[in-house]
Amino acid sequence: MERAEKIGLGVATAGHVLLFGLLSAGFLATPNPLKLKSPPMDVSLVDEVALESMAPRVSMQPPPPSVAPEEGPAEDAAPAPAPVPEPAPVPEPEPAPAPAPAPPPPKPAPPKKDVPKAAPKPKPKPAPEKPASRPKPAPEKPAVKSKPAPTNPKPKAAAPAPAPSKSKATPKADAPARASGEGKAQKPRGSLLGKDFLKGIDTSADAPRTPAPPPAAAMGPAQKAALNNVISNQIYPHLRLPSGADVELLVALLDVKLDRNGRVVGRPEVIDVQGVNDSNRPQVSVYKERAIQAVLQASPFQNLPSEYYDQWKWLKPLRVYARKAR
Amino acid sequence: MPDVGAAAGAAAQAATISPLALFLQADIVVKVVMLGLLLASIWTWAMIIGFTFTLRRASRQSSAFEADFWKAEDIDRFYEARGKADFPAAKVMAAGVTEWRRSTAQKVIDREGTRDRLSTSMSSTIAAEVDRLSDRLNILATIGSVAPFVGLFGTVWGIMRAFTAIAAEQNSSLAVVAPGIAEALFATAIGLFAAIPAVIAYNRFSHGINRMEAKLTRFADGFYSTLSRELEAQR
Repeated sequence: MERAEKIGLGVATAGHVLLFGLLSAGFLATPNPLKLKSPPMDVSLVDEVALESMAPRVSMQPPPPSVAPEEGPAEDAAPAPAPVPEPAPVPEPEPAPAPAPAPPPPKPAPPKKDVPKAAPKPKPKPAPEKPASRPKPAPEKPAVKSKPAPTNPKPKAAAPAPAPSKSKATPKADAPARASGEGKAQKPRGSLLGKDFLKGIDTSADAPRTPAPPPAAAMGPAQKAALNNVISNQIYPHLRLPSGADVELLVALLDVKLDRNGRVVGRPEVIDVQGVNDSNRPQVSVYKERAIQAVLQASPFQNLPSEYYDQWKWLKPLRVYARKAR
Repeated sequence: MPDVGAAAGAAAQAATISPLALFLQADIVVKVVMLGLLLASIWTWAMIIGFTFTLRRASRQSSAFEADFWKAEDIDRFYEARGKADFPAAKVMAAGVTEWRRSTAQKVIDREGTRDRLSTSMSSTIAAEVDRLSDRLNILATIGSVAPFVGLFGTVWGIMRAFTAIAAEQNSSLAVVAPGIAEALFATAIGLFAAIPAVIAYNRFSHGINRMEAKLTRFADGFYSTLSRELEAQR
């Protein structure tokens, strides 16, 4: 190795050591790694959140133009078809479908779907307050005479009447609750409708105004927690504790059944009471009664999501914690 | 919580990105690649410095020798004074003088044969000198062309390892990915760091050696013409 090469090797080594030493000492350190630190994020646990927005939904669609002649109150006409359907008119409508055999054939195909829709439709007008109990008997009776019941109002409404019943059969049939609860919103379509009723109305455009609830909405843990919050926020204001030592340890497990309006069905039952010890044992029976009273006073429960009705129609067990009493 | 701790640790490591830290936390394969590339870089620079000195000194000495040679009146005396030196031009002259003395020692001089031998001996000396000068130039060429690939290999390996770590931690946040990628890219950085000077130096020295060879050839041609004339005068 020549002298020049030795010098070169020494200089190169020294230069590399110097360069990497400087780099290691942060002489050329970039500030970029600081940006990699993600700042901490604030997470607030919100307790008082309802499961659904309580604000009324604003419909973006204009109401369909009213073509029907508005003569007189529709309520007058409505009661007439309601009582009629049962026995009497059976023979009468038979000749009516004869000239137009179109309506009868579709009837047998969706017999059950059409029936509950047609039956409760006239009813909400006279008595919208008690819809829950009424729709149930309705489907059973017309099941026998499924054909005459829907056709009954039609002879008076003339030809156009079958059109709306068919077009709306599917969206409404699976929503008896909506038909009963929101039946007030529907325009009464009685016998005063003219022949040109629905002439200018696009019936398909009418359908989305009353959307059916989302089918079989799955309930996640978040929804369950929110549901629990909604229920307990309404129970605990009514819960009054008996006085005594260690009462706040008690937890009552109730069996509560609710209807679609959030009303308690029957009387809640106490399945079990937990947290019982010697000092609060005398208060257990009082606490059971107070828990049941609290649930009954909270009835009807508000803000329960109707699409999750399956989840809250039978609350078993519904835990009522004494320590959460207000 | 362990996840948060690991991320915080990774972030702390990322905050101290330095060549030494990157090297120490690298995989063994990447470490070997980095070490090899570092040695290649040192070697490259040693050769650059050595070549610069050698070429410059040879060029300077040859130029001075040539200038002195053309000024000299008596070739034999000039040869006795300076012809034994150890640089290319002096060696070419020594080869020419040696061949001349051997050829003219006989009673009957074969002029054609003497010219051939003079030319051959001097050109072979030039070739030998150029060979000696450009001895390890091919190493520069090799480093210049191969080091980027070696660095790329280290990078690919390191990134593979980083992705394996991501899969193992099931956490793809930047703080987890970044150190591994940075350490992998460091291998390519070192590879380029070694290769770029090597390529530049190789081209520069090739050019320098070509010029040296041309200069020696010109000197040899001139010396050959002088000897050839001298040969014709020896009648």
